[in-house]
Amino acid sequence: METVNQLIQLFPYAIMGSILAGMICGFLGTFVVSQRVVFLGATLTQVSVAGVAFSFLHLINVEGIIASIFGITVSEHSFLHNFEPAFFSLLFAIIVVLIFSQTYRQKVLTQDGILGIIFVVAVALRIMFIQKSPIAEVSEVESILKGDILFIGQSQFFTLLGIFLFTVIIFTVFQKQLKFVTFDADSASAHGINSRFWLLIFYIVVGMGISLTTRFVGDVFTFSYLIIPSSIGLLVSKRVSQVFFIAVLVGAVIPPISIFLAFKFDFSSGPAAVITSFVLFLIVYGYKKIKGEG
Amino acid sequence: MEKTIIKFNSVTIGYGKKKIIENINVSLLENDFVGIVGPNGAGKTTFLRTLLGNLKPLSGTIEKNSHRFGYVPQRDTVQPLLPYTVADVVMMGRYSLMGVFDKPTKKDREAVDTSLEYVGIQHLKNYNYNSLSGGQRQRTLIARALAVEPNILILDEPTNGMDTPSHYSLLDLISGLHNQNKLTILLVSHLLSDVANGVKRLILMEKDFFQYGLIDEVLSEENLRKTYSSDFHVNKIDDEYVITSKHRN
Repeated sequence: METVNQLIQLFPYAIMGSILAGMICGFLGTFVVSQRVVFLGATLTQVSVAGVAFSFLHLINVEGIIASIFGITVSEHSFLHNFEPAFFSLLFAIIVVLIFSQTYRQKVLTQDGILGIIFVVAVALRIMFIQKSPIAEVSEVESILKGDILFIGQSQFFTLLGIFLFTVIIFTVFQKQLKFVTFDADSASAHGINSRFWLLIFYIVVGMGISLTTRFVGDVFTFSYLIIPSSIGLLVSKRVSQVFFIAVLVGAVIPPISIFLAFKFDFSSGPAAVITSFVLFLIVYGYKKIKGEG
Repeated sequence: MEKTIIKFNSVTIGYGKKKIIENINVSLLENDFVGIVGPNGAGKTTFLRTLLGNLKPLSGTIEKNSHRFGYVPQRDTVQPLLPYTVADVVMMGRYSLMGVFDKPTKKDREAVDTSLEYVGIQHLKNYNYNSLSGGQRQRTLIARALAVEPNILILDEPTNGMDTPSHYSLLDLISGLHNQNKLTILLVSHLLSDVANGVKRLILMEKDFFQYGLIDEVLSEENLRKTYSSDFHVNKIDDEYVITSKHRN
């Protein structure tokens, strides 16, 4: 109990932020897994990291431009001071989802092939950007790039809350269109729904969620929480709403438990969150197998 | 005089810069039943996707009035991981009739029930789509297309991979939709026997070969040889077409 109190006092935003990040990933991951575009999740996390690395080159001073437009000083605004990495992370992810959303009709390359190319290019660019970064040692930049649950502060927490609410609102308001185009885009088009537009909206929301979550909690956490909670949801649910509920619930519950375990046993919080969710997955999968349902 | 509802004017279909069939001139008539037949890879699905507006023609124009299409895709292209119920899937057919922010109403739910009843799977309404047999899935997709309240029903290889009873039962259902509901139907199949004794008009399709007309005019041994690069006997016995391969011993 003492450890829990210590954690709450030391890392209140980290705990609440990890819950939000897990919920965002669990929700979006259900679409990513059910759409069979798991590799999109992996690719977007790497693209986002490449975007953050690009921001360290300081080739485009976005913060300065915004500060001059609004007549403010960057150093006095912590949100603006941290804006550029998140901005480029988001920008890179949006560019990739714009490309990806237009590929579902083309017949020459597979979507996996296209994602594979983007993935390796993103990894290579990240390395090149870091090597040319004027600000710090490579290892230091790498650690900043990767994000960490425990570094979630007030502004990151409220950004994550904003992403969560935005995602839920978009998927609730446009539920019909998004459900149909993700189920069967060709038939949706044939029945008069603009599949290209709605798939674009879908991928933009997914891209935003993944890129900003990656920025704040790291690529390992984000990718694993896109896949594992939704897989657990698919394993145990008989209704679509149940899949989402279970995925979001697992995404919400496991991260704070894993932070506690990481603190208690002196592990890094990100990997601990992955392993804890994986253990739950194994238990659920084993139970289903024993019951003969797996 | 039968009314033309869709007209292809010198249309070339294909993907990107790859032309599959050039210079298609076809007039589809109201309350028609058209079979589209050709070997695998002939461009049947490309033709459909162009007709539906999912693909732009590489050249030429397609005149379509404001008709509502009901589309039944190839069953294998719809394999959801999420556990949608049969009712969920059929309700999707209603979405295009609703406003952007509208929720399904009682009328929509009744339309779903009516469609399911018509295809004979009302009792499967709350079943998981993934748990159904191939024939039941196909009926679900037909019900979804009917829920659109279409003027034109388009079916892409509906009997693919089905056992014999389901195969003929589905063809009977499709014929019933045309005869009783007066729906204009486009039926795509690579199985000539599926369409020869049901449709009024026939499109025979192969790369660089396109024939369209009344079935009696188009279904000839010469046209089949050009379409399938193989020889067939075409006989009519008791008003039924019997098509057999000349190579069969």
